[in-house]
Amino acid sequence: MFACIHIPDTRVAASAQPALLDCASAFSPRVEDTATGIVVLDIEGLDHLFGSIAELAERLQDYTSSLGIIHVGIASNPDAAVFAARGWGGITILKAGTEGARLKELNVALLPLDEDMHATLLRWGIHTFGELARLPSRELAVRLGRQGVHLHKLARGAVSRPLKLRKEALHFEERMELDDALTSLEPLGFILNRLCEVLLLRLRSRGLAALELRLTLKRERPNDPFIVPLRLPVPARNARVISRLFMLSLDAHPPGAAVSEVRLEAIPSKPRIIQNGLFIPLAPEPEQLELTLARIAAIVGKANVGAPELANVYARDRFSMKHFGGSFTPIERRLHGALRMFRPCLEATVRTIDGRPVWIGFSGMHGPVTAASGPWRSGGEWWNARHWQREEWDVEVAGCLLRIWEHTPNLRWFAEGIYD
Amino acid sequence: MRAPLLRAQLETALGERASSPFTDVETRPWECVPSGIPALDASVGGLPRGAIVEVFGAVSSGKTSLALSMLASRTQSGEVCALVDGTDAFDPESGAAAGIDLSRLLWVRCRNLDQILRSTDLLLQGGGFGAIALDLSDLPQQSIRSVPLSAWFRFQRVIKNTPTVLLMIGREPAAKSAAAVVLRANLRKASWDGLSRAPSHGLLLSQTQLDIEVVRLRHASSRTTLSNKVHHNVRLHSYS
Repeated sequence: MFACIHIPDTRVAASAQPALLDCASAFSPRVEDTATGIVVLDIEGLDHLFGSIAELAERLQDYTSSLGIIHVGIASNPDAAVFAARGWGGITILKAGTEGARLKELNVALLPLDEDMHATLLRWGIHTFGELARLPSRELAVRLGRQGVHLHKLARGAVSRPLKLRKEALHFEERMELDDALTSLEPLGFILNRLCEVLLLRLRSRGLAALELRLTLKRERPNDPFIVPLRLPVPARNARVISRLFMLSLDAHPPGAAVSEVRLEAIPSKPRIIQNGLFIPLAPEPEQLELTLARIAAIVGKANVGAPELANVYARDRFSMKHFGGSFTPIERRLHGALRMFRPCLEATVRTIDGRPVWIGFSGMHGPVTAASGPWRSGGEWWNARHWQREEWDVEVAGCLLRIWEHTPNLRWFAEGIYD
Repeated sequence: MRAPLLRAQLETALGERASSPFTDVETRPWECVPSGIPALDASVGGLPRGAIVEVFGAVSSGKTSLALSMLASRTQSGEVCALVDGTDAFDPESGAAAGIDLSRLLWVRCRNLDQILRSTDLLLQGGGFGAIALDLSDLPQQSIRSVPLSAWFRFQRVIKNTPTVLLMIGREPAAKSAAAVVLRANLRKASWDGLSRAPSHGLLLSQTQLDIEVVRLRHASSRTTLSNKVHHNVRLHSYS
């Protein structure tokens, strides 16, 4: 038995063809790329996996429903299945041996005819498959040759042929050319959402997920393409999350010109498989976390959100922000006091006696130093522009515990932070 | 006399819409997690999940140390935490020294109250965090007071049925009755190791002694006897 999946809407058929082929591949490895909007697959033996033929047809229609209106035809040979899908809406199942009787009402325009042949048949008064099938095949062969015999067989639903199996192509790309260039981001969001859905459906049908994506926007002026890369921390299959991440990125860095074509490519990866458990520590869902991070980055800036990573130097307040997420390693348990930083350090006026601070004033706070610990000298990186040389002190002023330091080359004092 | 009268009038007015408007419907069992400070856990029974915990105190009172200890406890148990830093005052070195696994800590460096509230909202809505610390310490008190109480109640509603602890740090309590636990930190004494007449390089600011006062405790049973003051020593940066 063979099934044909058909998209009747010619406007979307071409763009949805790769997705349609991938959807068919999710059911059977034997798939034929018959024509634009038409895919035929061999469903022999699939009843063990998907139930009866009617159930299989429903599942095919459900699975591909996101591509638009879908017609499904099932018959004992590929061509009859194609006619069933093109001739009627919804699901049409032709039982073996009944093809001729069922197809007889269809218009001959559905047959693969050139204009001359179609005109000849109309001149003879042949309008339906049934009328063509009733003609004697020998006389038809004399008048129309081999093509006539083939059309006669097609009209009777009696052509048996092997499928022309398509070659596997692992290139995941969706594109949409726009009649009118888009100048705002809002309509672009709808298009992007649609492309993401189709692309993710293609990946899902092959048991894959997207790890890296690249959005290319063709601009009208300047002509160079605007490329937005997106690297995900874990393979994802959620089209809504991916399109939202792209939109947040475009909000932060708009293309700057009208967009006439949208192209979305994905680098596939095996999906993440996790075993959830009652005792696994709490952690955000990676896809949701990525979206939350992107939204926060839009508020506070990309450089101000992430996990701090200490630099391997003795200099104070040296750290970098790395992307939050990924694997976590256990660390040793300790208890320690905290220093609240003044970033940047506040310049202070300090009076000293015998090199020891006795009074300090900075940014509205001033008073005698009641206790002091220091100086703790440090310096480094004298070989580059980030060199430092200083003497640090811990001091107590009016009940506040401060860390101050003196820049020894020019004897300027700074307050670095408060112990809290 | 006046309060019962007002209550009766309100109950009459709301009678058809709310059967018992003044009944506390908070009957859920609270799940508590260790705060990282054993004395505090013994006193308050830990930090309740799905609730707001507020730590406040003056400058150098030790409130940030307490908050970092709490975050360290959560990250060490394998949970992921977030710190919404109101004035970019977090010192990653102090955090690491306190035991925070920095790779499990999402640090959001904000510059104003609007950024703080929006970022916190997104984190709470996203879910999955063991604790989210909201540091309001160095913001002008006037701007914190201008945040409507409904904003904190909304945060409380969002986390109510989640395992997240929302930890707020500030100089004054901000969340008011939206907070389930309110702790006041106070510096009792700073310990300077060494002789009092020793030169300054012979002294070492080694630790602080804190008083933690339990101001509000909603999750503990009324029958439980809890001390409302805890003493805690915090080891400080050592140059030794």
